[in-house]
Amino acid sequence: MLLSSMNSDPATSTDARWLVGLLQAGDSYYPTGAYAHSFGLEGLVQAGMVKDRATLREFIFLSVLPALRQAELPLAAHAYAALEPGAPDWAKVGELCVLSHALKSAKEARSATENIGRQRGELTAALHGHPLAKEYLQRAAVGGWPFSSAISAALEGRVLGAPREAVLAGVMYSALGGLLAASMKIMRIGQNASQSLLTEALSKAPEVIAAAVNVPVEEIGWFNPWLDIAAARHETADGRMFIS
Amino acid sequence: MADFHGHLFLRAEARADGRTAIGGQAFRAPFHVSKPYWDEDTRMLLVQVVNPTAGILSGDRLESAVEVAAGAAVLLTTPSASRVFKMREGEANSWQRFTVESGGWLEVLPEPVVPHRGSVFHQRTELVVAEDGAAFYADLLLPGRVAHGEAWEWKKLVLELDVRRGGERLLHERFEQDGAGLRALAALAGAGEGACFGNAVLVVPGLAAETAPAWRDALHALQTDGVWIGASQLRLGGGWSIKFVAPDGVKLKQTLGAIRRELVAVCPHLACDARKL
Repeated sequence: MLLSSMNSDPATSTDARWLVGLLQAGDSYYPTGAYAHSFGLEGLVQAGMVKDRATLREFIFLSVLPALRQAELPLAAHAYAALEPGAPDWAKVGELCVLSHALKSAKEARSATENIGRQRGELTAALHGHPLAKEYLQRAAVGGWPFSSAISAALEGRVLGAPREAVLAGVMYSALGGLLAASMKIMRIGQNASQSLLTEALSKAPEVIAAAVNVPVEEIGWFNPWLDIAAARHETADGRMFIS
Repeated sequence: MADFHGHLFLRAEARADGRTAIGGQAFRAPFHVSKPYWDEDTRMLLVQVVNPTAGILSGDRLESAVEVAAGAAVLLTTPSASRVFKMREGEANSWQRFTVESGGWLEVLPEPVVPHRGSVFHQRTELVVAEDGAAFYADLLLPGRVAHGEAWEWKKLVLELDVRRGGERLLHERFEQDGAGLRALAALAGAGEGACFGNAVLVVPGLAAETAPAWRDALHALQTDGVWIGASQLRLGGGWSIKFVAPDGVKLKQTLGAIRRELVAVCPHLACDARKL
């Protein structure tokens, strides 16, 4: 089903079209390939830093939420602003694409955002046929822009006509949901324990998003040294279940 | 307490005989530059930048620009740790820019930053390397005055590192933490109160082709006795990020020394001894 018409006008935000679009994009059934990534968690489990529900919870609150607040969500928010359908700021979009990769010192983290971002950007263009998405792909190809899951989420949000906060909520849900889905394969943690962590983390969404939209471009960035080290070592791990 | 607005400018150039010499310099307190030393074995000019004051205080604004001209080779270091003192109000800032021109080599090897209780410090570092220039940059961070039982008690610490090569942005890191946040992460990692951090970047032409170099395995093998270390290639294959965490300051410096020794095969200049005890 096409969720928006073949023109550059975003769908209205007064109906449910953008909502069902974001639900579709946030579902594990949506083929972005995110299911193949643990976003560094497998490396931390291999290193012994995360080993049970308690340490997973600590990791989420001490590392995942700050990284969302200071990096991924501000990237998506600035991309959302730059992708204003009536007057997209393509130079800014290109800068943000490069920044999204430069923020990640670990190669696997860049590969994850590249692959998921590319797939989501191409899906957006293919499913909605929207000129904004098509032009984004053309400019990315010509400019050699790297892909970013956060920026592609902003693009899809714009195409759907979704409000900024809803797009950021979708980014936050995807990040946390993907991580916790992976945790059930890596660790001894059940569905209910995982869902209770997801619920607790998502309850922080209003404050995390409110802080993220106030992060200026020059202050985007955050890293956890242990996560980056574990991600670097995961590249050469003897065995692994996830790409990242 | 008077605010310092110190600046440092250094330009190293290659002379006709192949030696590197300081071609231009200007500095104002709290910066001071010691007499450079020419290391004949590694063909490097060793330059020590000294801060003769007690350390970094509220209101300090330190700006430095170091340029390495074509064909020149410099090891820039400091003789002692940079203590960032307690601040009842205000903050201290340090902006540093390192530029390496074609065929030049720069190693930046300062002693650690030691943020004291209640300090607010923002360090912004730009490393700009020409397409065929090369550099090794290492930043070290201690959790505080551990011997005094003071760790992770700074108010705010921002360490930014932006690396460009041939005009392409390879890395833009922003480490922003209060002491409590990093203490909690260290506890989660089982790293203890004395955990120290190292963040190094290696930019050398020709590294792009080697996506799985043997020296990375050697670096990863240094992960013993509480040390964590990981090396990963930067975007566009333009260099490598090497991060490491050690249980104390001594182990941190030993690890950095071991990293430099392992990398001598790809960067012979790293054999240069910084001539410190």
